[in-house]
Amino acid sequence: MNAVLKPIHLNTPETAQQIVMQARGLVKRYGQVTALDGADFELRAGEILAVIGDNGAGKSSLIKCLSGATIPDAGDILLDGKPIHFKSPIDARRAGIETVYQDLAVAPAMTIAENLFLGRELRRQGFLGNVLRMLDKKRMLEESIARMNDLKVGIRSMTQAVETLSGGQRQCVAVARAAAFAQHVVIMDEPTAALGVKEGNMVLELIRRVRDKGLPVVLISHNMPHVFEVADRIHVARLGKRAAVLNPKKISMSDTVAVMTGAMQPEDIAAECLAH
Amino acid sequence: MNARTLQLPPLATLGPFIALLLACTFFATQSDRFLTGQNLSLILQQVMVVGVIAIGQTLIILTAGIDLSCGMVMALGGIVMTKFATELGLPPALAIACGIGVTTLFGLINGLLVTRIKLPPFIVTLGTLNIAFAITQLYSNSQTITDLPESMNVLGNTFQVGGASVAYGVVLMLALYFVTWFGLRETAPGRHVYAVGNNPEATRLTGIPTQRVLLGVYVLAGLFYGIASLLSVARTGVGDPNAGQTENLDAITAVVLGGTSLFGGRGVILGTLVGALIVGVFRNGLTLMGVSSIYQVLVTGILVILAVATDQLSRKGGR
Repeated sequence: MNAVLKPIHLNTPETAQQIVMQARGLVKRYGQVTALDGADFELRAGEILAVIGDNGAGKSSLIKCLSGATIPDAGDILLDGKPIHFKSPIDARRAGIETVYQDLAVAPAMTIAENLFLGRELRRQGFLGNVLRMLDKKRMLEESIARMNDLKVGIRSMTQAVETLSGGQRQCVAVARAAAFAQHVVIMDEPTAALGVKEGNMVLELIRRVRDKGLPVVLISHNMPHVFEVADRIHVARLGKRAAVLNPKKISMSDTVAVMTGAMQPEDIAAECLAH
Repeated sequence: MNARTLQLPPLATLGPFIALLLACTFFATQSDRFLTGQNLSLILQQVMVVGVIAIGQTLIILTAGIDLSCGMVMALGGIVMTKFATELGLPPALAIACGIGVTTLFGLINGLLVTRIKLPPFIVTLGTLNIAFAITQLYSNSQTITDLPESMNVLGNTFQVGGASVAYGVVLMLALYFVTWFGLRETAPGRHVYAVGNNPEATRLTGIPTQRVLLGVYVLAGLFYGIASLLSVARTGVGDPNAGQTENLDAITAVVLGGTSLFGGRGVILGTLVGALIVGVFRNGLTLMGVSSIYQVLVTGILVILAVATDQLSRKGGR
């Protein structure tokens, strides 16, 4: 149970194009409804990949398959080139994929340090830890401070209850927890949906820092300005498939929405607007 | 907002102590006998049964559950261990183990119904309350079980500390509080109990087996009720089929008076000890004042409503 925090590896140019996670031909049916109809997915090292799509486009089914929340009926998922078969979110977590959920998944009455280490508590060395199972609160506190400083989250005390924080700060705690323990990938499901403008920007800034530390981020969002602010590439889900992967530096927001809704066909997109 | 919520923990923890001190002060002015060492050790002996039940109850309430069956399950455990020791002639240690086994089994049943069939704890334990009561009456024929082997009463014996006599059972109760305090505060499973009460879904998503935590809590509570059975038998010297009737609500009252939130995830176990002492002091003090027992029930009812109201209001104020 003694979790070890991973060392931070900085993003280098060689790894920038390396594919971390990949899915090919994912199919998921719920009774008569086909949610995923041969969807592909590709996440590269050191990028923020936004996943957008209208309701029913297969966006959440795709994310659920990647985070282990559902099992696809067909298709392959590869992590670092190796096929994986998640049966639960716990499996995905063991494989180094952490997911942040939109509805502020924290325990409000517990401290920030406790929340960061929830389910991965550190135990003391020797008799106290092995026999009495005592927690190493001091080390968890120190690690928490180091992690939060590292991500430049400006919260004064790690021993205050999470309920004393604002919504944005709470979400920062959830993001920091994911970033601290993810070995490979951080998936964020609408992390800014419940937040105001200022708080949303705070979380976006944190997402960028997570990427800059070398962890690739999958960002699911309905908020186009947020997507355009942080994403390196945009995966557009439509009709259970991947309609296109767009380059937010070249394409306009309105064209992106047009691709998403089907008003613009993928073939009509200018080549420079597609991401490679 | 920060300043106000930050003041809450000390108030929630100190509140019960202040209430206990106020109650003691009041009764000290009403009766000369209240503050004597003899009376205080009597209060502790009266509190030990409900005190141990309340440990199990605290664990369950911390997970945002409730156990209405605690007192009746305790009574059943007492009947089982006394009947097994007398009628079946089992060695006392084995009979005691059987009694504790039965209460733990009830905890397991409560826990399985809550975790597997997802029934609300309130309804489940309302059912097992009646089942345990009925089995107790049927099995004992509503007769008190007497002529127990001497060794079953050991925990009711006392030793002298500076003029006051202290029951061994009281020492056991304090030891159980210490162990639970340590477990809840210093170990991962203890913190998971709080996490489940706080936000079960978020806790599940961090990979903690929340159903197993819940089930463990109900089983442990059953174990504590079994130990309380033994204390009850030791204190009264008989197996009483009508035991546990005041303890049932007194245990919940103690937990709530001790500052544990009925909404789960907040509270400290030592608060429950103070809460149990408050209940004990009120019952004892009112008796010394010559107030009839039905008024004690009235006061306990008012106390529990006051405690829940305080919990509710302080949480609203914090938001």
